Amino acid sequence: MAIRRGLGIGSMYYGIGYGFSRADIGSAEIEMAEDGTTTVYSGACDMGQGVMTVVTQVAAEELGIEPEQIRVVAADTGSTPDAGPTSGSRATFVQGVAVQNAAAELREQILDMASRMLECPKENLVVRHGQVCEIESGREMVSVGKVAHQLHFHGRRAAAWGWHDNTTADVDPETSQGDAYATYGWATQLAEVEVDTETGRVRLTKLVSATDAGKAINPVAVEGQIEGGATMGLGYGLYEQHILEGGIPRTNSLAFYLVPTAMDVPDIECEIVEVPDPRGPFGAKGVAEPATIPTTPAILNAIYDAIGIRITETPITPERVFFAIQEARDRGEFEED
Amino acid sequence: MSEDPSTETAEETRGAYSWIGKNVTKPDALEKALGATEYVGDMVVPGMLHGKILWADTPHAVIKRIDTEEAARVPGVHAVLTAADVPGSNRFGLAVLDQCALAEERVRSVGDAVALVAAEDEEAAEEAVAKIRVHKEHLRPILTYADALDPDAPKIHDGGNVFQHTTVRKGDLDKGIRESAAIVENAYHTHRMDHVPMEPEAGLAYVDPSGVLNILVGTQYPYRDRRQIAPALGLPMNKVRVIQAPIGGGFGRKDDITAEIHVGLLALKTRRPVRLVYTREESLVANTKRHPMAMNFRTGAGADGRLTFLDGDIYGDTGAGVSLGAYVIKKAGIHATGPYDVPNIRVDTYTLYTNNLTSGAMRGFGVMQAAVAHESQMDQLAHKLGMSPLEFRLKNCLKPGLASSTGQLMNEGCGIEATLRRIKDYMSARDLRFKRPEAAS
Repeated sequence: MAIRRGLGIGSMYYGIGYGFSRADIGSAEIEMAEDGTTTVYSGACDMGQGVMTVVTQVAAEELGIEPEQIRVVAADTGSTPDAGPTSGSRATFVQGVAVQNAAAELREQILDMASRMLECPKENLVVRHGQVCEIESGREMVSVGKVAHQLHFHGRRAAAWGWHDNTTADVDPETSQGDAYATYGWATQLAEVEVDTETGRVRLTKLVSATDAGKAINPVAVEGQIEGGATMGLGYGLYEQHILEGGIPRTNSLAFYLVPTAMDVPDIECEIVEVPDPRGPFGAKGVAEPATIPTTPAILNAIYDAIGIRITETPITPERVFFAIQEARDRGEFEED
Repeated sequence: MSEDPSTETAEETRGAYSWIGKNVTKPDALEKALGATEYVGDMVVPGMLHGKILWADTPHAVIKRIDTEEAARVPGVHAVLTAADVPGSNRFGLAVLDQCALAEERVRSVGDAVALVAAEDEEAAEEAVAKIRVHKEHLRPILTYADALDPDAPKIHDGGNVFQHTTVRKGDLDKGIRESAAIVENAYHTHRMDHVPMEPEAGLAYVDPSGVLNILVGTQYPYRDRRQIAPALGLPMNKVRVIQAPIGGGFGRKDDITAEIHVGLLALKTRRPVRLVYTREESLVANTKRHPMAMNFRTGAGADGRLTFLDGDIYGDTGAGVSLGAYVIKKAGIHATGPYDVPNIRVDTYTLYTNNLTSGAMRGFGVMQAAVAHESQMDQLAHKLGMSPLEFRLKNCLKPGLASSTGQLMNEGCGIEATLRRIKDYMSARDLRFKRPEAAS
């Protein structure tokens, strides 16, 4: 075994949302029942990455109630408003603001009614942990449930609608100049690889992912995105290739189409970077794609660091590396041990 | 200047929030951990039929005739449908309507669905699919970038095989080349990738007593599904309800129509609930993939280590349907510089139809491919100039006040320097060093 080690980095930027004049909107309804429990009707699909959790936390924070009091009804044309797709790393960035807007309006309705009930100026009141409190003393005056009950009693809905438009104009058709995206995601990864110079096999032995979340609304969920992204990036770099011959797939089963397994995924260190973005909810932006993109470039650069050979074709299969080493040897350019 | 510019601001706000920045448990965590979540493939409703698709077995052909009689006679079969049975436009597509729910006169890739069956059980449906006879005349398939760029090659769609050509132009390329002390030129090739979500494509459809077609589906966007399903099936949009079922991953492929139109059509025709669940093998063939791209990049930097120019071409194979490919490849072009200040740019991108599998949205959306090229170029330039790859990036990265490849002025949300410094700090804390270039270590 002739193992050589190398380190490499990869960086990227990624336009968050849709760009190109494509509709890029979020919208949500929020409704508080007479007992203070709250439902958010959010059109955004949760695909496991946690946008429902983000919606819950944003609504809880903005409204001043506990997350346990919130239920999210998601992604149904029969019951939720249109929030655009969950793609383009946009759900937190766009839908988060729509939910924040809805929750802020509902909070104002609650404070208006509480002000009447308590005969206290609205400016002196705040909602915290489900209670309307006097700002100065911090004293709990009345629960939001009681206020919501009064709103319903007076024939009001205790409900609000929030909307957010993140649509950006298309770039110039000749030069592509213009403000292409509302904001960008940023990331840099460091990869450590081992290259077996006899077989050409490359193993990723360590990955450090520094990903800018703007503000991590739920740090564990961000770590999940970072680990999942790096794993998908690793699959792209080293394993997953859909081979067609004459237009017909030769890799149409998981016996031939290789995805990374637990044995292939190294220790991934999540470095959550937070450069707040004033356009996102509480400074947050999406991380799904930024956490995925730098892995393959970092591996390519680490391979060069290890063996002095530049691979320009993906995936980086053992055959490709093996023959690249042979060719370098033939040219007398391979650094022998 | 080794401090992380992000730390202070984040620290200032932390602690002020009750719930932001806290690890609140996902509302669906418990049911997922207990295995209690019902995905479409787990759902069973009374009277439910099973749908099955006959896929094309050749990438490019003219369909002469489809014989379904024998298939329809299989016991337990309730419907055998072809394009002729579709009551609406039969078309869908995210950028343009260039895909058929069921193939009409042409097959354009082996990911095209040709016929549909609904039966009492999966076995009967499979038997019926095997008994459908498709009579066809083979056409020359367009499989390579060169074939797709050849103006004399057969056209896959009426508009020709070059669906889109985009251009990025900034500054003065010749000036950038003149000012370069190091120039690196390479051709990069990236491959086709499948999303491989844990859950393959799946849908369950039924017509409710009020006449509304309900479709439960693992999707990324129910409203856009409705926008596509209704005209394809000839229904008013308010008679279609799309509900996102619990989903086992999407990663971009479920942005597109997957099982929706097929399962909806079967439910409309049979007036029974119908469930359609792809096998993994079907999922690997059907719907969208990540675009293979060919990228020729020439990049320069001055003796001072500042980037001078990027001169590049990007060719993307979008397969038989454009899906979101036009946006994917345009985005690759815009992002071809990477997160750096590059004053002089020429980049051209080409979105090409082929008879390969359709490519569309996938996590990374064109930037995945572009980054393979721009990051390889960055390291090679750094090495040529005897600079550390990290210092070279720090010198060239976008910062507030600098402009991106599209001339967009960066503002306070520009975090690339912070991510690079975080990695730099990580490396120095552990005394990790690049071996190359030797001069920089």
